[in-house]
Amino acid sequence: MAAFGAMGVREVRAGLAAKEFSAREVAEDALSRIKAVDPQIHAFLEVTEEAAYAQAAKVDEAIAAGRLAEMGPLAGVPVAFKDNMNMEGTHTTCSSRMLENYVSPYTATCVANTIAAGGIPLGKLNMDEFAFGSSTESSAFGITRNPWDLERVPGGSSGGSAAAVAAGLATITLGSDTGGSIRQPGSFCGIVAVKPTYGTVSRYGVVAFGSSLDQVGPFARSVEDAALALNALAGHDPLDCTSQDIRTDFTANLAEGAKGLKVGIVPAFMEAEGLDAEVRDKVAEAARQLEQLGAELVEVDLPNAQAAMSAYYVLGPCEAFSNLARFDSVRYGYCAEGHKDLGGQYEDSRATGFGPEARRRIMLGSYLLSAGVYEKYYYPAQQVRTLITQDYVRAYEKVDVILAPVSPRTAFKFGEISDPTTMYLSDMFTISINIAGNGGMNMPVGLGAESGMPVGVQLISPQFKDENMLRAAAALETVYGPAPVAPAFCPER
Amino acid sequence: MKKLEEVLKDWEAVIGLEIHAELTTLTTKMFCGCKLEFGAAPNTHTCPVCLGLPGALPVPNKAAIESIVLAGLATNCDIEKHSMFYRKNYMYPDMAKNFQTTQGPVAFCMRGHLDLDVDGAAAKERYRLEELAEGESEGNITRTADGYTAHVGITRIHMEEDAGKMVHIGGGEGRIAGATHSLVDYNRAGTPLIELVTEPDLRTPEEARLFMQKLRQIYLAIGISDCSMEEGSLRCDGNVSLRRRGSTQFGTKTELKNMNSFKNLHDGLAYEICRQAEVLEEGGIIYQETRHWDPSAKRTIVMRVKETADDYRLFPEPDLAPYDLSDEFIERVRAKLPELPDQKAKRYEANFGLSAYDARHLVEHRATANFFEACMQQAGDDAAKLAKPVANLVINDVAARMNADESFDLAACPLTPARAVELVKLLAEDAISSKQAKEVFAAVLDEDKDPAAIVEERGMKQVSDTGAIEAVVDAVIAAHPDEVTRYKEGNQKLIGFFVGQCMKEMRGQGNPKVINQLLAQKLS
Amino acid sequence: MTQHVTEKDVRDIATYTRIALSDEELPQMTKDLNDIIESLKPITEYDLEGVEPTFHPIGSLSNVMREDVETTSFTQEEALSNAPKQQDGCFLIPAILGGGDQ
Repeated sequence: MAAFGAMGVREVRAGLAAKEFSAREVAEDALSRIKAVDPQIHAFLEVTEEAAYAQAAKVDEAIAAGRLAEMGPLAGVPVAFKDNMNMEGTHTTCSSRMLENYVSPYTATCVANTIAAGGIPLGKLNMDEFAFGSSTESSAFGITRNPWDLERVPGGSSGGSAAAVAAGLATITLGSDTGGSIRQPGSFCGIVAVKPTYGTVSRYGVVAFGSSLDQVGPFARSVEDAALALNALAGHDPLDCTSQDIRTDFTANLAEGAKGLKVGIVPAFMEAEGLDAEVRDKVAEAARQLEQLGAELVEVDLPNAQAAMSAYYVLGPCEAFSNLARFDSVRYGYCAEGHKDLGGQYEDSRATGFGPEARRRIMLGSYLLSAGVYEKYYYPAQQVRTLITQDYVRAYEKVDVILAPVSPRTAFKFGEISDPTTMYLSDMFTISINIAGNGGMNMPVGLGAESGMPVGVQLISPQFKDENMLRAAAALETVYGPAPVAPAFCPER
Repeated sequence: MKKLEEVLKDWEAVIGLEIHAELTTLTTKMFCGCKLEFGAAPNTHTCPVCLGLPGALPVPNKAAIESIVLAGLATNCDIEKHSMFYRKNYMYPDMAKNFQTTQGPVAFCMRGHLDLDVDGAAAKERYRLEELAEGESEGNITRTADGYTAHVGITRIHMEEDAGKMVHIGGGEGRIAGATHSLVDYNRAGTPLIELVTEPDLRTPEEARLFMQKLRQIYLAIGISDCSMEEGSLRCDGNVSLRRRGSTQFGTKTELKNMNSFKNLHDGLAYEICRQAEVLEEGGIIYQETRHWDPSAKRTIVMRVKETADDYRLFPEPDLAPYDLSDEFIERVRAKLPELPDQKAKRYEANFGLSAYDARHLVEHRATANFFEACMQQAGDDAAKLAKPVANLVINDVAARMNADESFDLAACPLTPARAVELVKLLAEDAISSKQAKEVFAAVLDEDKDPAAIVEERGMKQVSDTGAIEAVVDAVIAAHPDEVTRYKEGNQKLIGFFVGQCMKEMRGQGNPKVINQLLAQKLS
Repeated sequence: MTQHVTEKDVRDIATYTRIALSDEELPQMTKDLNDIIESLKPITEYDLEGVEPTFHPIGSLSNVMREDVETTSFTQEEALSNAPKQQDGCFLIPAILGGGDQ
């Protein structure tokens, strides 16, 4: 088996160009590998065989016509999408009973762009229900296992997206990140995972959780692959008012190295309570490596970042409450049978269709926005957002990128964390980035000394300077190497 | 129940209006590119955005923002440069997202006003108007020669989106009560909607009706909506409360819905005022509730009681960019402002020498104003001379026809401006009597013929030719020597007899004025 | 710990959000919500005098609009393709009791 899903973008393209294999073979192989391997992991909720072959045929046609050079950056590359991304004709369930039978009548811009760039769509990936969670355990359709240790969670909410790439089932997958949902599973599964600046990638067609926080980004096993995916994804979409006209070539400065790069270290993060030693050690090591590569380490202070967590658990649920109101059993979605009045049908459908975390967040958001309470939480949370944003702006007067932990610990075991407020702590280092809207990514830096599980560091960019973190990540990659496929799933080459 | 007139002696009615207008003249919806069209097959003008599909995002229609700014400029509002859209959260099946995208505390248009001219019968509802001298003001009104003007504040005009439509089945007459099911069609969902909220400055149902009418004229003039009350593109809710004459405290208000014509607006408010007075006079209390005007039963019925203020969990819409309108944008919109009805009326007074009353009533409808102007153009050099008779024709005959038949389309009816001028000329030249003119007017509309042809056909042409009449007068005098003698002896009443005989001879076509003159001359 | 919401409050919130909540579920949901609300305390303790809120993370975002140009709509079949129940080209729902805002 060639295991194209385990190849990088450049490798696939070179093979196609040299006619060593066809796009159809890439699709066939990737699909059969999913069939063989995925039952152990359960990253995929739906495999889109027909779409994969149709797209492969297109790519092969282009190659036959000598137009490979004109094709997008992801020509013939096996890709897959988080299941909150609409792709016409596929189920888009958000891992919820609520949308179990929902078939998308339209396609999200990020999906369309990925396919337009030549990606071969393999399917839809498991996640925490409606992206509420950090372990993918809240999926209504079963857990996803971490390819590095099948007894551990892959992280979440984009757990399926991370696991698929870590297991070599796809070269690029897309996830969404509202408080850490790309970066944290990226770190748990040991792969490159990028949440670009808010507004870089269109959110149109991605089922909303927190509209002012959500951002789409890629998972890959190399920084270059992630950058190529970003090239395909970024840019203004007339269907998303918040998407910006980004024309950056995200691969442009990957080779520049760390020399002269000013890297910010936040002492409060490194000393944070709850940060595991093995993670802290790895972050410190990565800092030293950057320094050795010629970067300058500068201490920066984000005094208000500590309030990010509570601001997030105000803003996220408030926006989610409103975004999830549309699931009402009228136009689509789960509809409880046998009700003679709409009120009964509403209440039964929403109680049955939504899992416990979704119900909790909807109710929390509704409470926080109610008269008299709004002034106490929602409005101050938006003011705190101003302070956090200002902290970052001030920090970036001194540095080009900030280095921090992603998750306070490596991947935990199934069922290990059941209390919602403890689970929320998984995002303690990632949330302030969503609040401020800048870019952040996970860069794998090897395995934790104690757990033996992947550890990642977080690189954080100023708004719309995502190339800064990619450059730092590429520098680290020269030391740590590209992310490997998890050993148990490493195909024989 | 007491009559309105009686009630208003003891009670002051405080009325505020909330007026929704769909921007029907636009091509597409507020937040998506679906076509605006009334009466299409259900759910065929829908897309992910207006169906509220998971993942869909709104993008505002620029032309809608221009329209609301235009509406604000036309109603003397301040245009707020900085404003935002908000989400108004409540679950109802005609609203696909289960929140309405609307504006928050700051709307595009704030603090406007309209001045209403209230005259004739409409002015009579105002309590003790006669105690004011012309030019004298009290509160927000100023006495005029034929009534008063009322200055009515506009709190705001904000931008929002309409809901879908529901049909209730299994019950009686499509009513929600008793229905077993409802059918939802989202074609209308997302239609750009502007809501104007007045200050509680209105005091009589006539003022409310006139406000609505004037606003409709303005919206039609600026071309932002077809303003069809029947099809619901212009809708009005009223808030009504009463207070004892002399009191300055507001009473509990009720909200009145379903006033889908000017008549219903007036009658619904009048009923509700009388109902509240009766409740209060019997020692009862008014509940803050929403009531529905039932025009066939001529009463208002409770729809729902609001125990507490609605909590819509309003918060800024994160999917939409805030607004920061530039001076340039506003000025570009201002340049599109056409002549407004008030300005038009002033022009009629100045150019055609019309009275304020005539000018005001001509511009009451865009159709009548357009028609009048077309007539003036047709009249050419005679315009100044014919302005008053044309105005009379339009204000009296045409307006009566329009009031009697809501579907009457002046622009497309057989009475063309050319025919109207012809008719007015016949009258002005004494070719026909004013009574005959009314008959010709009706005949033009019924038979689609030129006035001259009708006059000819019906042989109703008035003979004013002195020579011809003189011959008849002479003949009549010669044929009745006895009556002539008695007349000359002092029986002046016999003049009527002579006129009648002359008219009989002339088969009713003699100009009575000329006949009278000649008889008087010859019998003296 | 402060009781932020009572069981009655939670019952009201459930009604407002149209999510059925059984008597058995009520105590746990009340506890969870109180725990979470308690964890939000830092927000309430901040000195935010004179701090402007940031409702949109991209500070320069303003006036994003589209031209009034028609785009393709769904066919009726597409629009209704996910409808749990339909009739006569419309979405079919059971009786609406109690009315609403419109």
